[in-house]
Order: sequence, then structure tokens, then C-alpha cells
Amino acid sequence: MIELKINSQPVKVKEGTTVLKAAESLGIEIPTMCYLKDEFENHPSCMVCLVKNKNNGELFPSCAMPAREGMDIICDDEEVIEARKEGLELLLSDHVGDCEAPCRLSCPAFMDIPEMNRLIANNKFDEALQLVKEDIALPLILGYICPAPCEGACRRKQVDNPVSICLLKRFVADVDINKDSVYLPEKKPQTNKNVAVIGSGPAGLAAAYYILKSGQNCVIFDKKEKAGGSLLSVPENELPAKALESEIEIIKKFGAKFELNTNINPEIFENTLKKDFDAIIIATGNPEENFNFDLKTIDSSYSTNMNGVFACGSVLRHHKMAIRALAQGKEAAFSVNLFLEGKGPGKANRLFNSRFGKLTESEIEEYKKEAIFDNRIEPVKGKLSGFNKEEAVKEAQRCLRCDCRKPTSCKLRVYADQYGANQKKYSFGERKQLKKYMHHNDVVFEQEKCIRCGLCIEIASGEKELTGLTYIGRGFNVKIDIPFNKQLKEALTIASQKCVEACPTGALAFKNGE
Amino acid sequence: MSTEIKNIVDNIIQEKGKSVEMVIPILQAIQENFNYLPEEALQRVCDTTDITPSKIYGISTFYSQFRHKPVGEHIIKVCVGTACHVKGAMLVYDAFKRELEIEDFDDTDKDGLFTVEKIACLGCCTLAPVVQIDETTYGHVTTEKVGEVIQDFIENKDKPKSEQKSSLAVDEKTQGEIRIGLGSCCIASGSQDIKEELEDTLSRNHIHVDVKQVGCVGVCNQVPMLEIHKPDEVTSFYTKINAEEVRGIVLNHFQPTSFIDRFKSRFNNFVDSFVFENIPKLTKKYAEDEINTPISEFLEGQINIATEYRGELKPFDLEEYKKLDGFKALDKCLKNMTPQEVVDEIEESGLKGRGGGGFLTGQKWRLVKDNKSDKKYVICNGDEGDPGAFMDRMLLESYPFRIIEGLIIAGYAVGASEGILYIRAEYPLAVKRIREGIEICQREGMLGNNILGTGFSFNLKIFEGAGAFVCGEETALYKSIEGNRGYPILRPPYPSEKGLWDKPTLINNTETFSLVPWIIRNGSKAFNSTGTEDSKGTKVFALAGKINRGGLIEVPMGITIRQIVENIGGGIANNKKFKAVQIGGPSGGCIPESMADIPIDFASLTEVGAMMGSGGLIVLDETDCMVDIAHYFLSFTQDQSCGRCTFCRIGTRRMLEILEKITSGQGKMEDIGTLEKLAEQTQKGSICNLGRTAPNPVTTTLKYFRHEYEAHIKGTCPTGKCKEIIRYEITEDCIGCTKCAQRCPSDAIPVKPYEVHEIEQEKCIKCDVCREVCPVDAVITK
Repeated sequence: MIELKINSQPVKVKEGTTVLKAAESLGIEIPTMCYLKDEFENHPSCMVCLVKNKNNGELFPSCAMPAREGMDIICDDEEVIEARKEGLELLLSDHVGDCEAPCRLSCPAFMDIPEMNRLIANNKFDEALQLVKEDIALPLILGYICPAPCEGACRRKQVDNPVSICLLKRFVADVDINKDSVYLPEKKPQTNKNVAVIGSGPAGLAAAYYILKSGQNCVIFDKKEKAGGSLLSVPENELPAKALESEIEIIKKFGAKFELNTNINPEIFENTLKKDFDAIIIATGNPEENFNFDLKTIDSSYSTNMNGVFACGSVLRHHKMAIRALAQGKEAAFSVNLFLEGKGPGKANRLFNSRFGKLTESEIEEYKKEAIFDNRIEPVKGKLSGFNKEEAVKEAQRCLRCDCRKPTSCKLRVYADQYGANQKKYSFGERKQLKKYMHHNDVVFEQEKCIRCGLCIEIASGEKELTGLTYIGRGFNVKIDIPFNKQLKEALTIASQKCVEACPTGALAFKNGE
Repeated sequence: MSTEIKNIVDNIIQEKGKSVEMVIPILQAIQENFNYLPEEALQRVCDTTDITPSKIYGISTFYSQFRHKPVGEHIIKVCVGTACHVKGAMLVYDAFKRELEIEDFDDTDKDGLFTVEKIACLGCCTLAPVVQIDETTYGHVTTEKVGEVIQDFIENKDKPKSEQKSSLAVDEKTQGEIRIGLGSCCIASGSQDIKEELEDTLSRNHIHVDVKQVGCVGVCNQVPMLEIHKPDEVTSFYTKINAEEVRGIVLNHFQPTSFIDRFKSRFNNFVDSFVFENIPKLTKKYAEDEINTPISEFLEGQINIATEYRGELKPFDLEEYKKLDGFKALDKCLKNMTPQEVVDEIEESGLKGRGGGGFLTGQKWRLVKDNKSDKKYVICNGDEGDPGAFMDRMLLESYPFRIIEGLIIAGYAVGASEGILYIRAEYPLAVKRIREGIEICQREGMLGNNILGTGFSFNLKIFEGAGAFVCGEETALYKSIEGNRGYPILRPPYPSEKGLWDKPTLINNTETFSLVPWIIRNGSKAFNSTGTEDSKGTKVFALAGKINRGGLIEVPMGITIRQIVENIGGGIANNKKFKAVQIGGPSGGCIPESMADIPIDFASLTEVGAMMGSGGLIVLDETDCMVDIAHYFLSFTQDQSCGRCTFCRIGTRRMLEILEKITSGQGKMEDIGTLEKLAEQTQKGSICNLGRTAPNPVTTTLKYFRHEYEAHIKGTCPTGKCKEIIRYEITEDCIGCTKCAQRCPSDAIPVKPYEVHEIEQEKCIKCDVCREVCPVDAVITK
């Protein structure tokens, strides 16, 4: 047995045990990417598992270093954390891949647009709607009036025209609304907490929707006789009144109480609302009204100078985009829900995002492999009517699938997030040109997302693949490729699943994603 | 598949075998046949051996020796080693491509006649810049000579090489001895022609003189050189001679044996002097005991241990080697010493590994010896890949028996039965000499079973490296022998526990082995009485760069840098000022002139941020840009990184990009901080010493020459080296000779006879030709 210390805790391990495993036996977690459990030893390449030997101050990868008598290992001091972070930043500077698609990143509500497109393309309209409603409470309304910043960011624009994301969203909402029973998401268990929302514009309605979803009760106050706030002033030829009414109806159905024709003056606010409600969200859409409520400051989690009082939407400043107000309503609701659980207020965490910028000419060709070639489809019945089913499916198939297929299992993303890595820090060289290997039934290979750990090569070789994968070149230009320029389906016949599962990034992924 | 390819490949496999570890030798043989690796041939290998497609591609794209595309009929290798670099090798490379009208992205001319490639180091640093076309080496190639060089090659390529004459037999009635160096530098500088001319002269005049081909004389700066030894005469050295002068020199010292010959020779002499009257006589003659000559100064202060009997020993003459104490050490070890005693002797000598790391050799031997195993290996690391270093090449070429002897002794001491010499493929002469040496030793009972009748058995073979600097790292080296990509592995386990084929393996550098016989013969005390407290004995350096006398030197540890530069090297060439030395190659660092009085040993070099490395010593003068030097070395290591671990693979690249920003005038002050940070992380976070030391040239230049980085960021290269921020101008000194205008490849200089010329900046491609050809140095860079 060998005795050593890890983070000052003594531990005894069998000879030949790696420092990584010794640490694991103490419950100390060390990040790894290129290391595959028990199967390959002395295989370090990613350097994210670096630890320090206090005896000589040297850093080394713990996955490959055998524990030796008397070692004094530090896993988490500043130097170690810094080194891991720098390593991640170097890897990210050479990582040509987007975690999330540009459309989603530019959507104020961070709606999972590519996934919606895929569901529509596969005729799964209900699932598509459910997905949309995770982030956009009023998809039908927004389907009419959203200026669609997502389409401005859509990569398909570099091929011909962006995907009609906004119309697709309206299409699924339309399908839903015309059903006998509309989709209402499952609520969390009732909490019997009461939340007041002042204002029934896009921010207020969205906030109410997500408050209700979390199991709280919600009352919406508005001084006007009709709910809808600023949405009421949109002309009929842009937003049919019917659409507005039907989506407000859904909010009602979901459990919101509307107190219309109710002007909340400072007195009611102080003496009634503050007493009767556990939390209040001000979403009046009018900054000038703020003095009524003694509202002075609002922070990034939408909480104000008053405990339990939150504010969102155009109450901060006038917004032109309803989608922004709606997104804020959702985020304020999130903060309120946390507050009511005793954990808040707070902000929803967004994971780290790798971004590589514009596609080059050759990359456009690679991306086109994922989509149909037809140019943007205009609805035969005109824009106001929207897509019919066939049109929607076809339009959705134009999506280039810019998002990563492994957004949650990619270790590079997880650790980049955990260590607060900055991708831009070392991204000053000419970036590599990405490629998509699509000739396989189940697997896609994108070699510029790869961190060159070589696990797939070893697995394929271990599984006795006849062609397998190989390293091409060395140094900075080393890449994983297929010998004799064969196709991916010949390279990976029996080992594909193991390879995809072992791949620490989105370089090797199942076509259908995670 | 063409039957031709099939047959050739099948024959190769027949000879080499089908096992996976033969992949590199098989690929080398295929390339030798086709000049590249045809895909069909690779497919055939996969179909008929245990080598998989994954393996064959992984290997053939890792080692830079291998080519996947057909090349031109002739290959022009432009050496971009350090010595060549500081003398403008990149401009020469550009000039070849321009001359042959090769596009930027391509490497072969339209007619498929020439392929131009860069090569890390040809090991002829004293002839820099050096270019090799097929087998012919051209020295001192400047941009304006490129056309001539190509012309010369084309004119001579079809002439048959005159056959080797064997007039070298020893004669009883010999009148004396003429020695001629046949190391790579000597051959490159024309010693083969000299030898042929010499043999011709001797046989025509019936002069009975021993002509002796000796290994590298070390005085590489004065080659080709002839030494005339006569019984009653002081030895004369003739330096920088050419073939036309040989006859005169010989006849000056030796009389033809018959009257008619004498007459004929006089007549020929007369004709010669008439014909060659106008040839400038660069040749100088020096006597051995003459003081203050370049030869005596160069040799003074040197101690020959690794290079014992330098200039006397014929590389492949076993009898002579034995006469000069060769194999006495082996005899002593096998017959009078136990393995433990041998290890003790080496340990007591204080010898440290000469490959750069400086680990105690005796200790390494002990570790291997003490590891019990049914099989152990001894490996000689001759994968010298540093640009600017040619010590191993010279030792292997000149003293093959000494190295073999050192290896056998090591094998005996650690209990190994097999040894391997890993020699880089760029050293064909070294491979040839060692191969001959091994054959001779096998024949003579020095290798094989029951050596010298003592019962000890030891076999030796050669493994030719395939072009990967990282394979100089010991773990990558043995991985490469096993038929893998040269990926270093994390130590421990050290090779002494688990090395080649998982067996205990002793890996030492060539120079280390070459010191062993001397230590055994003369004792550890004799060795450790030379040197410093930290480092014992001597060190061989390849001295090159901006120096009057470059060459291979063996000096005692503890000698100062200044002593080497000023005494042995004869100071800086062309009356320029001494600025710095770059020591230790890409892992080493730059030491400024102000610190030139530090003694050379492992500890003191490490202390100032440099490293002993394997012994490249490049002297830099005031015209050398230190940012450019840092960039040069980093681009080498960056290119040679195996690509396995993150910091080395990407970190060195990003550092290089920052340096490129700076040398092109795009840098910002904060880039220096980023560079330092990245250098520190790469040193800390890399697995092997290539990555851990790669930032050294950057960190030392930042430490000692930071102001030069800052100057570049402010927009000027103080020495006018960095192409992207300098401009060429012609001063009032111009005499209007029009040479520059005639030679300018981009017509940027209008012809104006007898007037001061001007350069049209927008047309100038900064090729340096005008500056080279200007007879009055009127072309300057700003």
C-alpha cells in the first residue's frame, strides 16, 4: 500500500493506483475529458485534470500519474484552478463549434429554435409547441408581431434567406389553438402562495404564466377594461384581435385571475397588495408610474428596493420589442419563484456558450449538408395567414442545424462553464475550417470540435474496426480523420456507439442528438 | 493495383516482416522506391501485414520524412537551421521558389523537375546558408546566387560520379601522409572533389603518400582542408582549398619518383598557373606549431575526450582504432570489472547525460541495472534534431567504434543483451558509418555471442528516425521504435523501469556513450578533475553563427561563453558587435553579451533561463533581431510539437501568433503580458520537456531584450530584420552601377546608370537581393 495526502487528507491506495483514483476514493472530484474509465492508462492530453505536487511544486495530469509514497497533492488551489482554466481556454480557442445556434442566442427569450425546427420538420407539432412554451408564453401573438431578431442571426442567411422562424412558431401555436383542448403545461405542486402582477401586457402575461406553472396563485391587475396592455394598440392587420384574445384566454384557463379596471394607487399598493400577496411584480409598461410605488432601484434579478416587490418589462425603460418584455416577464417569474422558495431572488443561469462567428464559403457547403436546398417558402395564403402544414414542414427542413448535438453532455462546455473560461482570450489566430462528416446512418463527425484526445481511435482499434479512425499530421494541425479517405460509415461500423459515448465533446455525436 | 507497386511492396514486406513495429522501416523502404508513399502501396501493406489503416496513416503523417504526394525529380532542401536562419535562409528559400516560379501554396515547379522544401538542419552550420539538391550540397548560398546554383546543378547532374579509387593502401616506402576530412561539412564544402583530385595527382606523379580519410576535424570553418604530415617536417595545414590547388600543394611537399614524372609535373604546373592565374587564392597555409593562426587558436583550449584523436582517426579502420587504445576499455570491463564496478566508475566520474537534461549517467545506469528483468535494452539517442546542432552527427560519423564500444560497455554494466542506435534519417553518412562499424565488430567478435570470449553477448542494430524532433525525448523515442507515433508519455514510469517493450531500458545520448570508453580507460578521477563542481568533464558544442571560426569544439566544463566566442571562435565576424549567444537550441535561451562571463555548466545555464541542451551554440551579433530569434525557435518547436497535450499543441501556437503580431508591427503592449502568461502556463502544464522548455527562447529574450519587443510594438525593428515592418532604401553612396536594378526580381528599381538608384516601395518584395549585390553597401533597411 502507498500512503499519500490529497488536499491534506491522508489516503492509502494500492500500488499502481493513479492520483485521480486516489482522489476519487476520498470523494474529491477532479475534472477529466480525455480519460476513459479504467480502459486506457497514461493517456493524458487535455490537461484538465492537472493537480499539484506540493513537494516539488510541479503540476501533472492526475489521470496518468501513479500515486507514490509521500506525495502531497493539491487539487484545488489557485494555481491549479488557473492552469485548468487556461487549458480550457486554449482548447476553446481551437474549438470551431457553437454550443447554441446563433438564432437561439439572439432570441431574448432564449427559445430553443433549432429543436423547434427539427420537431416541426418531423411532423411533431405538439411537441414543438410545448418546447416553444418553455420560453415563450404567448407564441401565437409573438408569431404575428415579433421582429424576429433570431432570423437576423440565422446562418441560413449566408446561403439564401433565413428560416421563417417566427412563422413556424406561429404555425405550431395556431395548430394548438385550433384544438379542442389547448396545451396547458403541468404545474408544480400548489404552494398556496399568492403573487400579484400589475399590468397585463406581454411582460405581465408571461410572468403570470410562469408563476402559475410553478404552483403559485396569481392575480393580474390592470387599470384598463381589457387585458393585453400595449398589445391592444397593435393594428388588426398586424395582430388580429382574435389571436390576442385566445392566448389571454389560455392564461386564464391556466388559472390567472384578472382584476381589470383596477388602478393600483400607492395606497392600495401599500395597504392591500403588500399585505395580501407574498410577492408583487410590477409590469405596468410605464416608467412614469414608478413613483407611485416608491420604486427606486431594480437589479438584474428584477428585485427592487422593496422586499418582495419585483419589476420587469417596459417599466424599466420603453422597449420596442414585445419579445423582450415577454422574456423579462419569464425571468422575473423565475426570480419570484426562487424568492418564494426562500432561495431568491436570482437569475436563471445560462451555460457557457462557444461561438465561432461567421461561416466561410467552404463551411457554408458543409452546413448545407444538413438541410434541404429550397429557398425560403412564402405562405401561399399570404403572411397574415401563415404556413399550412406542408409549408411548415418544408420550411423547417431548411434549418442548418447550427446547434451542438451534445449541448449537455459535452464536457468541454460543462467545465468551461464551471471554470468561467473565456473563449476569446486566445482566439486571435486564423481559425480552422470546419467539416461535417455525414455519411453514416447514426453518427455525425465534426473534427474541428475535437480536442484530439484520440479515444475514438483507440476504441475503434480495440473493437477491430477494419478502417477505423486515425490521426493525421501532428502538432497544432493534428486532426482525427478516416484512413484512405473512406467514408464515416466504413470507419465506424461496430464501434460507433462506444465512440460517441466516449467523445468528450460534440465532435462525435448521434445524428439525433443526446 | 499496378503489379509494379504490388511486387515492390511485397518484396519489402518479405524483407522487413509483417509485424506492426516494422511500420516505419517499411514506409521508409517504400518511399525510397517511389520517392513518396503511393496510396496503393499503403493499401497493399495493410492488406498483407498486421499494420492497420489507422496505424499506417497515423505514422506516415506524423513523421515529416514521409510524403504522400509525388515530388519533383530533384529535391532542393533549404536548410533553415539556426545558423542558416541568422544568415538569411528564409530569403534563400523564397528566392528558390521565385526562381522556379513555384506558387506560394505549392512546392514543386511546373515541369516537375524541382521540389523545394525546408529542412530543420543539415548539420553543416559553418557553411550557412546551406542548400542540398539531391546529394549535392551547396554552401554559402545567398539570394543572388540561387540562379547560379540551379544552373550549376542542372549542368552537372548528368555527369557520372568518378569512381572511387582505392589508392589508399598503405605503402612501405611512404613519403608521408596527407589527411583529408570527410565529415559531412567537409564533403559539403567539396572535400570529395579534393580527394579525387588528390588521388589523381598522386597516381599520375607516382608519389607514395598515405592518403588518410579522417572524420570531422572540427575546424569546420576552414574546410576543405588538407593536412600534410611528413616525417621530418612540421605539419602543414591548407585551409579552404579548392580542387585546382591540390596539385600545387602536393608537388610543393612531395617529389615525383621518376625524372619523367617530375618534368611532367612541372610542365603541368606551368600550364595550371597560366590557366588559373586569375583565380583569387583564398587558400591559406598554416604550420601546426605556428602560433596565432586560426588553426592553433581554434584548437587551443579544447580537450579531446569524446573527440579523442580528432583528425587522426580513420572512421572505419578498426585496426587503427585498436592501435589508439580502442576497445581497451571494453576489454577491461569484460575481463577485469564486474558490472557493478563499471557502474560505480561511471557514477564516480560525475558524468551527466549530454542530451540536455543533465541527469547523472551513473545513477541512470544503476537504476536500469537494479531493475530485474529477463530482457533489457540499451539505446543510443542519435536523433539530434535541434536546428544548429551537429555534435551527434560528427561523433557518429567520425568515431563509430567509440560509440559502439560505449554501448557495449553500457550493455554489460546494466545487464542488457540488445542495443539500438536511433539515428535520424537526415544523417545518411552517420547511418552508413555505424552500419559498417557494426558489421566489422560482428566479424571481429566485438559484437554478438560470447564477446572477446568472455561469455557476454550483446547485439546492436540501427533504427533510422523518420523526422520528428520530439523523438529525441526518451519516451517518444522508444515509442517510435515500437512503431508508434512519437508521443511522449508521462514519466514515471521512467524507461529505466519500463521502457522499450515495457522492459527496463537505458537511453543515453550519443556524446554520453562516446565519453564512456575514455572514462573507463583513464579512470573516473581523470575525468572529474576537469570541469566544475556541478558539471564534470568536457562538452562538445557546435559553434556557429556570426563568428569568425565556427566548428565543432570540445571544451572543458566551466569555460566561459566569452572564452569560446573570442578565443576559440576568433570573435565576431565582419567587425560587428557581439550581442548574445543562443545556447541549447530550441529548449535553450539567449544569453546576452553582458553575461558572457558565466561559466558553462548545467546549473549556471539553467539559472539564467537557458539550458545546456544538446550543445548548439549560435553566436549573434548586433544585426540580429532578438524577437525574430525567439520567433524562429518557437516556430520550430511549435512545428515539432507532437500535438498530444493542450499547452504544447495550442499554447505554443498562440504564443507564435502573438510573436507574429509583434514582428509585423501589429502588436500591443498588453500582448507582452499575455505572452508571458502563456509561456508560464506552457512551461508548467506540458507533459514532456519539449513543451516545458519550448517557451525558453521567448522568456529569455523577454528577460534580457524586452526593449526590442517594445520597439517592434512601437513600429520599428531595431536591426532591420523583420520583413513586415522594414523598408529597403538606397543611400547617396550609390554609384549607379545598376546591379541592383538588373537583379531585382520584381522590377522595383528602375535602371539609372551612374545615378543614385531608388526603390519603388509598392513593388518591393523585400527579397534582399539588392542589398546582397550592392558593391558599396548603399542598400540599407530601415
